Amino acid sequence: MLRNFRTERLVALVLVAPFLAVYLLAFVYPTVQMFRISFTDAPLIGAGRWVGLDNYLRLDNDPIFRRAVWNTAYFVLMTVVPGTLIALLIALGVSRLKGRFQALVLALFFLPYILPVSVVYLIWDWTLNFQFGIAMHVLDWLGIPRVPVFKSRVWFLPAVAGVTIWWTAGFSILLFLAGLRSIPAEIYEAAALDSSTRWTTFRRITWPLLWPITSLVFTIQLILQLKIFDQVYLFSIGGRPNDNMVLVYYVFQKAFQQNQGGRAAAVAVTLFVLVVVVSVLQFQLLRFAERRRR
Amino acid sequence: MNVRRMMAIAVVAAGGFWSAAAQAEETVIWWDFLGGGDGVRMKQMIADFNTAHAGKIKIDATTLEWGTPFYTKVQTSAAVGEAPDVMTYHASRIPLAVSQDILEEITADDMSKMGLSASDFAQTTMDAVTVDGKQYAVPLDTHPIVLYYNRDLLKKAGVLGSDGRPVGMGNKEEFTATLKKLKDAGVEFPLGSVTADGNFMYRTIYSLVCQQGGELLTGNEFLAGDNPEKLEKALTVLQGWTKAGLQSTYTDYPATVALFTSGKAAMMINGVWEVPTMTDLAKQGKLFDWGAVEIPVIFDKPCTYADSHSFAIPKNKGKEISPEKRAAVLEVISWMDKHSLFWATAGHIPAYKPVTGTAEYKAMEPNATYSTLTANMIFDPKSPKAGVAGPIFDIMSNYFVPTLNGEMAPAEAVKSIKEELNSM
Repeated sequence: MLRNFRTERLVALVLVAPFLAVYLLAFVYPTVQMFRISFTDAPLIGAGRWVGLDNYLRLDNDPIFRRAVWNTAYFVLMTVVPGTLIALLIALGVSRLKGRFQALVLALFFLPYILPVSVVYLIWDWTLNFQFGIAMHVLDWLGIPRVPVFKSRVWFLPAVAGVTIWWTAGFSILLFLAGLRSIPAEIYEAAALDSSTRWTTFRRITWPLLWPITSLVFTIQLILQLKIFDQVYLFSIGGRPNDNMVLVYYVFQKAFQQNQGGRAAAVAVTLFVLVVVVSVLQFQLLRFAERRRR
Repeated sequence: MNVRRMMAIAVVAAGGFWSAAAQAEETVIWWDFLGGGDGVRMKQMIADFNTAHAGKIKIDATTLEWGTPFYTKVQTSAAVGEAPDVMTYHASRIPLAVSQDILEEITADDMSKMGLSASDFAQTTMDAVTVDGKQYAVPLDTHPIVLYYNRDLLKKAGVLGSDGRPVGMGNKEEFTATLKKLKDAGVEFPLGSVTADGNFMYRTIYSLVCQQGGELLTGNEFLAGDNPEKLEKALTVLQGWTKAGLQSTYTDYPATVALFTSGKAAMMINGVWEVPTMTDLAKQGKLFDWGAVEIPVIFDKPCTYADSHSFAIPKNKGKEISPEKRAAVLEVISWMDKHSLFWATAGHIPAYKPVTGTAEYKAMEPNATYSTLTANMIFDPKSPKAGVAGPIFDIMSNYFVPTLNGEMAPAEAVKSIKEELNSM
């Protein structure tokens, strides 16, 4: 059949147009503005004077910005790899179950994922609040001194990382399960005929065939956790946001609490570049690893 | 339902609609941040206002989240012309708001239309809502912090004076001794402190700096001269209490109130806005014998941090307020101030002098006990960087939690605070 490229192009344009319009308005325009504002001393609302690279140069010897970068990296480290591995383990376990029971167990693991972050915060605050948390009464009962989990320097980020894994694992489990189900049963049968051990089966069959899913989960997690904010914000309300500082929080603090839109934009641009660089780098690395495997 | 009755209802409904339209009832959009016990009082006042002005003015009120969320929303909504007609505002935030150009000036003409005059308010309170000689809000109250105490526990520990007030309010050694006696008498937390919330502790610490005659802002410099040492001393005293087990550690705001009302903490430094919590609990017979007094003098002179809830009219970009609406807003503000005797039951000290001058107010407890402190009040420094949940408040409070719980040395905290404030 002959195709009329002109009408096809028109149809394509019409179909893509609504998305394109929203994309330009809600992403490209704000991003361009963000870059522009980052070179001014604008307050939260309104325009400012052009100050060139000043906002960026100030970040260089800003101890809080440095802590924000470090904390973000630390948080990513604590959530991304362990979160992916835990989800994989749970998915492997769930995939061995059958029928209704499997659905039930899966639902239990998925349940936290549908909760809004404020509910997650309340649940864990009720559990771990230093004065009234349920867990603290358990510690008292066991004769262990109480731990101010969300209020101390040492415990804060690991605790929030734990909560985050608990909260978001459901989605990764679901992705892994889908991946596991797409591995043909015949391959496992063949392996069983060759009397392959469980470990060999996992190492030689499941893990390589699951690699695309693993790298997908890993990438999603990485980008998500680099942008960590809500949990840190809620758990440090009134507390000690400086010690818990992460990059998005710093943007919030500069813009909304200290009325410095320009400096906030500079931090946002830095984060934006960081996310792009890290995710591209990570994607290339994973592709490289995959190619070597073949 | 018969036809006649249906017709009657229809006529009444249509008539009601007609008369409302004829008189053009003004709806005043109102925003406040009063979410606690005082918020319940304010809702009552709004209902009373609406009843008294039925058919003429109606307040459509919304309570928003206190602090940064409230002020951010005000700022962004004013920028796009979606701000309310009137809102509650902390006097301490007014310089910042003026620099952002989001408040309408309250002119002398407005004041006379409201039947108010500057002399109806305390000089310090009036100053707090004025920037460069222009008034930007009408004060409703002043709300300092006070010391709440549990008479039963204090009596048991032998630290209740014959006047029913705690002993040892004169200096640091005396007050620390009182706390120690409470501890020895088996009280778990002699002082319940909001040690997990630097925002809150700002008020106590600022009071303690002021008690030494210190100030945060000298000209354009933060913590100039010997003020860093004064701040360090204040932090050292509070950290000392933590280390000696005299105050609760890592306690957030709701937990502090709960520790006090459950009798685990014998005393608590908190805002007067918790008064309704206590009076309501006491009325239900669920509270011990309690009292509230001016905070103790720890250093050289009495001084207490205070702020003022005031009413401000936002400047809506591209949506000028109509003269009729403005008149309605002024009536709202005026009515609220003139009926602020009821607001005093929320613990606050009304700003309108004719109210505080009444015999009824003077007999009101515990307000009468602590109202003496108005002579020793200090407001935030007057700067666009000051104000609750504003830049200074935010930067300082970030260092309080680690310091108060003994994780950071006071000197280290002061050094960082000074650096950060001056590099703003």
